Amino acid sequence: MRIAIGVTLALCLGGVAFGALGPRYGGDLAVGVLDLPASPEPSVPRGMGERLVAGLIHETLVGIGTDGVPVPALARGWKTAVGGREWTLQLREGATFHDDRPLAGADVVRSLRRFLRSPSVAGTHLADELEGGAAFRARTSEELPGLAAPEAGQIVIRLDQPRPLPLAPLAALAAAITGPSGEGCGPFVPTLSVPGKRAAFTAFGGHVRGRAYLDSLQLLGFSDPQALRGEFQAGKLDVAPGPGGPSALAATVLLVLDTAQPPFSRGEARAAVAAAIDRGDLVANFLPGGDPSPSLLVPSLLPSLGLEEPAAAGTLSGTLSMLVSRDVPPLVSQRVVAYLGTIGLQVTVAAASPAAVSASSGGARLMMWSPEVAEAGLALEELAALAGADPTVRETLSLAGRETDLDRRRGVLHRAEAALRSTRALLPLAAAPVAFSQRRGIHDLAVGPGGRLLLDDAWIEP
Amino acid sequence: MKATLRNRLLVAFILVVVPPLVILALTATTLVSRGFEEDGAQRLSSGLRVAQNRIEALRGRAAEQVRAVAHDDLAAVLPREEGDRSLAESIAARRDLQALEIVDGRGRVVSSSHWPAGVGLPDRDAVFPGDDALRLEQVADGYGVAERLALMPSLPADWRGGRVTVRGGPFLDASFTAELSSLMGVDVALRDGVRGRWIAEAASPLSQWSNVQLGGDATRGDVQIGGATFLWAAAPLRRGVPLWVVVATPRTPLDRVVSRVLRLTLGIGAVALLGALVAAAALSGRIARPIRKLSEGARRVAAGDFDSAVAVGPDDEIGDLGRAFNSMTAELARSRDRLLQAERVAAWREMARRLAHELKNPLFPIQLSIETLRRAHAEGREFDGLFRESSDTILEELRSLRKIIDEFSEFARMPQPVLEPTDLNAVVEQTLALYQAQANGCRVEAALGQDLPTLAADRVLLGRAIGNLIANALEAMPGGGALRVRTSRRPGGLCVEVEDTGPGLTEEQRTRLFTPYFTTKKGGTGLGLSIVQGIVTDHGGRIEVRSEPGQGTTFTLILPLAAS
Repeated sequence: MRIAIGVTLALCLGGVAFGALGPRYGGDLAVGVLDLPASPEPSVPRGMGERLVAGLIHETLVGIGTDGVPVPALARGWKTAVGGREWTLQLREGATFHDDRPLAGADVVRSLRRFLRSPSVAGTHLADELEGGAAFRARTSEELPGLAAPEAGQIVIRLDQPRPLPLAPLAALAAAITGPSGEGCGPFVPTLSVPGKRAAFTAFGGHVRGRAYLDSLQLLGFSDPQALRGEFQAGKLDVAPGPGGPSALAATVLLVLDTAQPPFSRGEARAAVAAAIDRGDLVANFLPGGDPSPSLLVPSLLPSLGLEEPAAAGTLSGTLSMLVSRDVPPLVSQRVVAYLGTIGLQVTVAAASPAAVSASSGGARLMMWSPEVAEAGLALEELAALAGADPTVRETLSLAGRETDLDRRRGVLHRAEAALRSTRALLPLAAAPVAFSQRRGIHDLAVGPGGRLLLDDAWIEP
Repeated sequence: MKATLRNRLLVAFILVVVPPLVILALTATTLVSRGFEEDGAQRLSSGLRVAQNRIEALRGRAAEQVRAVAHDDLAAVLPREEGDRSLAESIAARRDLQALEIVDGRGRVVSSSHWPAGVGLPDRDAVFPGDDALRLEQVADGYGVAERLALMPSLPADWRGGRVTVRGGPFLDASFTAELSSLMGVDVALRDGVRGRWIAEAASPLSQWSNVQLGGDATRGDVQIGGATFLWAAAPLRRGVPLWVVVATPRTPLDRVVSRVLRLTLGIGAVALLGALVAAAALSGRIARPIRKLSEGARRVAAGDFDSAVAVGPDDEIGDLGRAFNSMTAELARSRDRLLQAERVAAWREMARRLAHELKNPLFPIQLSIETLRRAHAEGREFDGLFRESSDTILEELRSLRKIIDEFSEFARMPQPVLEPTDLNAVVEQTLALYQAQANGCRVEAALGQDLPTLAADRVLLGRAIGNLIANALEAMPGGGALRVRTSRRPGGLCVEVEDTGPGLTEEQRTRLFTPYFTTKKGGTGLGLSIVQGIVTDHGGRIEVRSEPGQGTTFTLILPLAAS
């Protein structure tokens, strides 16, 4: 008996001790995702898979910290001058691309010029703030006096006026720094790509923060969340979306109503929809780990003040087509359909990739939305673009873009959020957790701001 | 088509073979069709009954399960911290119920196995009119909801101090109808008469049937779906409920069998037709050949070849006919020989009689003259004058005898014609010129055809024949008249017509016209026309005569262009 107890204790302690030895190099990870990008070029990622791939291949000049403030990435630091209008970023020494070519200022300038003209909201925001940026983005001029690389390892950004968090847009994955032929400098090098189905990566030994622990990664794309879940439960995947692993309240379950067409061109109709949805019930029964607070942004971006103008109940009739992003939990989507049924709407649902849902319009769209940049102001600008132009919202956001005092700015952002929410073109149903299941023996997976799965520091017990 | 023996036999064979085949095919097709249709109707009726019974059996089983849930399972359920949302799912799995729902007194869904997203919300499922157990349930489907027909008997129950309704049962959906179809071997579907839609798997042909008209009690019929014909039968699930059970089976197997029967019949018919053709050809040849030979033999006989005989066939009627023909031919030949002999004898007798008559005529005056001279010499009468007169008479009669003998000799020694290309008009003209002087007041008219081809003829003999005819015509008109000579073309030859306006001939005279020594003239030898006939026959032609008493006579020589 004593021997048995002793052996058991030894095994348990051994396992703990073994794990406690810390990260080690090696191993191959198979990750299941619902969407794989067709191209590795930097763009605005819309789904979990796109964000993951972009983060594996590319690096940006800055990141966003947990408080929404930019933190160094490829830029190891920066200083400001001219009353906050000029920002000089120092590039990290020894940073190279996947083809071992050293990172140069010209690469940064080229990449940022591309970013300023991309569909990215963050790019638009930066272009509006840079000297000559608006004309450059409008393609009325090729000159961009607000962006320069005067010296090796330095980037100078000049703003039209002092701006709050002017470097935040540089954290967008669309602003990733690439080589002349599109090479990234992220922690993993792509080795295989079967568009939509499979992508393989190996660790990049020349990464600025050092080689990742994992030797290689396999990303497998699925169009059916149940099939993905089945593969994980069958042991064919190491990581898959689901509970039990790293998680972060990083997405908003968002119902987008098309205000350009009936029935949602009428405010009363949008109000009836808003009134029909019980966020508390939705979170409590169908979205474990969620937050029913009435805010367009997750609490980590902009803590909710809990203020909500109750919507007037109403009834509608007829049929409604709703496009649902595949990363929305099916039960949540069904519950939304049930809510809409209580006010007389017969809903026909079509599922699509997150990118397709973001790009479409008409009827209603249900998506798991995470901002391009985990910064409240940029996130609200992105939502404002999604909802369509509203003068009050734009004016408030413009005000926030000029307020350099971060505390006052937060108040302005609250007003902007409330104004945007009051249009009821965007109905936040809940703050949702972005969670992943992992098999035993995998450590240090994390979910970053914006809901991206971080594998940089992940390791596998041998 | 010519009515030959072969064709008649062929038609007979066809009539004997084909109609029975057609009747057989039609009968077989009708019997097979009827059998299939009866079998199909039986299968459909049986299928309807089975489907209805199955559904009722499911209803009964579901009612029992619901009773068990309401009375036993609910009572045993312990309250859980997370609530009862998954309760229905777990009970349904245990009770093997496809659908299970628990609804509270306010009509809100407490738990649902098939629509968990509807828990806590008002129950919005539609009830089928006429049957509370038939419900259009909302069912989770991907990211949304679908509507499926379910058979869910309900039962009230007391649970946790409140009144609830428990309902559960199977789905009557496409999977259900597919299962029934597979079991019964016919297509099964449900027709929702309220919404006008089919509950059937997508591959079922019934799901493509539009313009459906169902009403009243059980009905049946056939319908065209997607280019194929289906036999169908339908009956309401329950009286008064607008939900129909429809079963259908394709007519394809029947059509295939009918098509095979028809193809087989056509094939056999074609073979029979071919066989009939061959048999007709063979049999008709077997029958017709001896008859044809008989016919050819008869023609030969008719042409005068009495020595021909036909091959005698087998010992049947045709053989008997052949033997009879040969016997007849032999008899004809003997008769001909006897007749020829008799004719020869008769001709000799006639010739001898005629010769005797002709010879006797000049011999009597000779004899008389000599007797007169002897008497005169004996009596011492004047002798010189008498001698001269009697010698003149004797010499005259001797000349007449000489002429008779010359003609006889000429008739006997008629030469063979030497054929050469001859201009018929030239011969006629030359001959007419010879007899112009003997016209004796008769009008001579020549109407000679133009562009007549030459014919193979002996100019001399032909001229003699035409001359004889002209002479006879002139002699028949001693008081004057008209002599017309015409030449013309006939198919395969030329013809010469010699026409006079004399007294004409009686019928008896016409029949004996070409007999040697028959004459209607005083002093004629009667050999002239025989000579003409002989010459014409030697040229391969023939002679015709037309005459009526008082209407003149026309002799027509028909001569071939080439001697046969």
